[in-house]
Amino acid sequence: MDSVLELRAIRKSFAGFAALDGADFTLRRGEVHALLGENGAGKSSLMNVAAGLYAPDGGRILIGGREQRLGGPREATAQGIGMVHQHFHLVKPFTVAENILLANPRGRFSRGIETIEREIAFCTNMLGFVVDPHRRLDSLSVAEQQRVEIVKVLLGGATIIILDEPTAVLTDEEADGLLTTMRRLAAQGTAVVLVTHKLREVTRYADRVTIMRGGRHVAACDPKTMSTAQLTELTVGVALPSPVREKTARGELRLIVAGLRVEHETGRTALDGVGFQVRAGEIYGIAGVSGNGQSELVGALTGTTAVAAGDIWMSGAGHIADRPPAIRRSGGLAAIPADRYAQALAGGLSITDNYAVAGVMAGRYGPWGWLDRKAMAKAAAAAVRAFDVQGVRGLKQRAGLLSGGNAQKLVLARELAGDPVLIVAHGPSRGLDARACAAVHERLLAARARGNAVVLVSDDLDEVIGLADRIGVMSRGRIVAEFDAPADRQAIGRAMVDHG
Amino acid sequence: MASPSFLPAGRLNLEIRTNLAMGRQMLILVGAALIGILVSAAILVAAGVPFGELLSEFVIQTLLDPASRQAVLAQAGPLVLVGLAGSVAFRTRFWNLGLEGQMIWGSIAATALSVFDFGPPGVRLPLMLAAAATAGLAWSGLAFYLKERFRVNEIISTLLLNYVALYLLLDLLYGAWQDPKDSFPHSPQFRDFERLPDWGWPIHGELLLALLATVAVFWLLSLSRFGLYIRFVHENKGAARALGVPVRAVMLASVLLSGALAGWGGFIITDVQEGRLTQSFFDGYGFSGILIAFLARNNPLAAAMVAVLIAVLFVTGQSLQIFYQIPFSMVQLIEAIIVMTVAASEFLIRHRLRWVA
Repeated sequence: MDSVLELRAIRKSFAGFAALDGADFTLRRGEVHALLGENGAGKSSLMNVAAGLYAPDGGRILIGGREQRLGGPREATAQGIGMVHQHFHLVKPFTVAENILLANPRGRFSRGIETIEREIAFCTNMLGFVVDPHRRLDSLSVAEQQRVEIVKVLLGGATIIILDEPTAVLTDEEADGLLTTMRRLAAQGTAVVLVTHKLREVTRYADRVTIMRGGRHVAACDPKTMSTAQLTELTVGVALPSPVREKTARGELRLIVAGLRVEHETGRTALDGVGFQVRAGEIYGIAGVSGNGQSELVGALTGTTAVAAGDIWMSGAGHIADRPPAIRRSGGLAAIPADRYAQALAGGLSITDNYAVAGVMAGRYGPWGWLDRKAMAKAAAAAVRAFDVQGVRGLKQRAGLLSGGNAQKLVLARELAGDPVLIVAHGPSRGLDARACAAVHERLLAARARGNAVVLVSDDLDEVIGLADRIGVMSRGRIVAEFDAPADRQAIGRAMVDHG
Repeated sequence: MASPSFLPAGRLNLEIRTNLAMGRQMLILVGAALIGILVSAAILVAAGVPFGELLSEFVIQTLLDPASRQAVLAQAGPLVLVGLAGSVAFRTRFWNLGLEGQMIWGSIAATALSVFDFGPPGVRLPLMLAAAATAGLAWSGLAFYLKERFRVNEIISTLLLNYVALYLLLDLLYGAWQDPKDSFPHSPQFRDFERLPDWGWPIHGELLLALLATVAVFWLLSLSRFGLYIRFVHENKGAARALGVPVRAVMLASVLLSGALAGWGGFIITDVQEGRLTQSFFDGYGFSGILIAFLARNNPLAAAMVAVLIAVLFVTGQSLQIFYQIPFSMVQLIEAIIVMTVAASEFLIRHRLRWVA
């Protein structure tokens, strides 16, 4: 057995919270090793220790069988450990070659850029993909930027490569491509760590899996010997039931979208005549490969994107296509946007402020001149309990300190309070672990059961199929097909790509 | 490789703090300000002020002597107002560097009422206050308009508009409004009913005005619905907009209020100190307003307190000028040093150095 990296009993605390509580991890040469766990299980923290970014409070790091102390990422790189982070560390206005040269100096700049371009060509050839070294970073897609990160790490001499949730930003197809490349890399002797919470990737691409929960390792095994249910149980503790969608009576029309057009500043047409209707007590799912107008549709519905033509009618608010968000919200619109930290929460403000702002606007906490802070705090405390928002040390705590799943629960608590006419949810479970994801789905189904109309836009086809009563498939800014539940996965998949 | 035995085993780690208690933050800030004061003291000693004199003559004298205490309070009034003006604008991340321009406009507008003898004497003073506020907010509103309409960065526009205001002021003082009695470049003396009332120390109209403004701004930012909106705009404009906060209106209101407060600040210096428009009454106040807002972290109550401390510095600076021929720009140097040490201390609030064995 050839272990290239061993982490033993690693401990690490942040402000009194133990993120790692005696975590173990062993990595062998030439394997793809999945590190599986819920959000907050300590996967990223453990890998940041291995990459020299965090100094552990306790425990030992063995590289190639010898104990090492990593004083920083540079020392980890020198030991052959490279990490591709979830949020890329790339300089946007630089070219691909310049970015890679910045991390891997090759003597004088003018000479270095030539050297590095040759090395990039060699490396991408070996990996089986193309990266143009002269293109500026900001002209690349997310998947292409990720390739740049991988090439950067490999040219740094990495024999151990850590990928932190690499597929979170990729489409299924791109993800398969990436993971196939990683398998090829492993076959040549590189050790690959794949941090993920997607079971599908673990069972299809990993040679071994280490499962973490609560900052500790719970199991290490060959995923092919395990069933999905077993893996899920190890990850979350108890097996989770899949959501149950009860039959509900569809009510009156709540939303009519007709001939909706949205144009980008560049003149590109993002939405090209979108039309659909949603009734009370119904979840209308929108499926499609991301980038086909979904974000613009959500923006047009919630009022953050300008509409060029067409009509949006919402029961209780009337024709709202050119009305500001405030009018829509007072008419009963609730929004669960894709990027909760950028679009739904003010990270620097307290949990109370973030929860109560919607009620304040509706005049529920006193008149213009006076905020009833006591009532706000009381309502926030009740919501935190009711929606099981965890990691709350106090209501005055900054919302930005909440983990992804708990931040999302706080958004849900605010948006689903009262009885919204229409809920627009965009990728509501993106980046969440299995348990938080189940909680989100449960809430959306509960909203449907009490008669709210829901528009669910998601890149995750399983989520749409599992929840929606009707599914519209988006492609190139149009709804190209509609399906009633139970929908045929294959047929939806075909509709998604046929028109693309 | 093992480290040599004469080195201590372990190393210094730089870590990011996620949360630091308010008390500890205050401690770090005050410590940083003290370091700044020490550095300033060293510079003053180097400039020829005997060390022993520094504390006794200036600080203690300034605070114990009734006359200088009165001077401190007189100085504090306008500083409170410009400090509030800075705080209100910075709350929406509108970098209003045009406090001096807005002060000048406030003073010009109020003086115009005196020069043209506009309105009955009984309401002249309230009219002058209204004119000062209106002219100040018009000047800051102009920068806001330029930003919204033409995307002109407000740091540039507010700063340059200061010069426009200044040269207009000089044009008036060397031209139409020059005092015919002595032909000096200042406006004719205000009449008694145009001066802020003084009910005997320390109850002066100026201080009442500053106090009133502080309480009003505190109410607006901390107790009212507008305060919650402004916090959302400050933290995350995108989310605020999506949540239905009227972002533009909130920003406009804060910019206009900032200009109005600065206009008042300018007017009360003119009215209380000389009782006439002079050519350099605003000197140093614009920067001080920014400094006060920065040190007070845009908190109105803290701004009022910091303004009083800066007033001590101003009055001390004036005595230094008289007794040691130390230029008044030394006051600005000291302000700058304190800004730098406090700004540097942010690093310790956000990070922590820890010894790891």
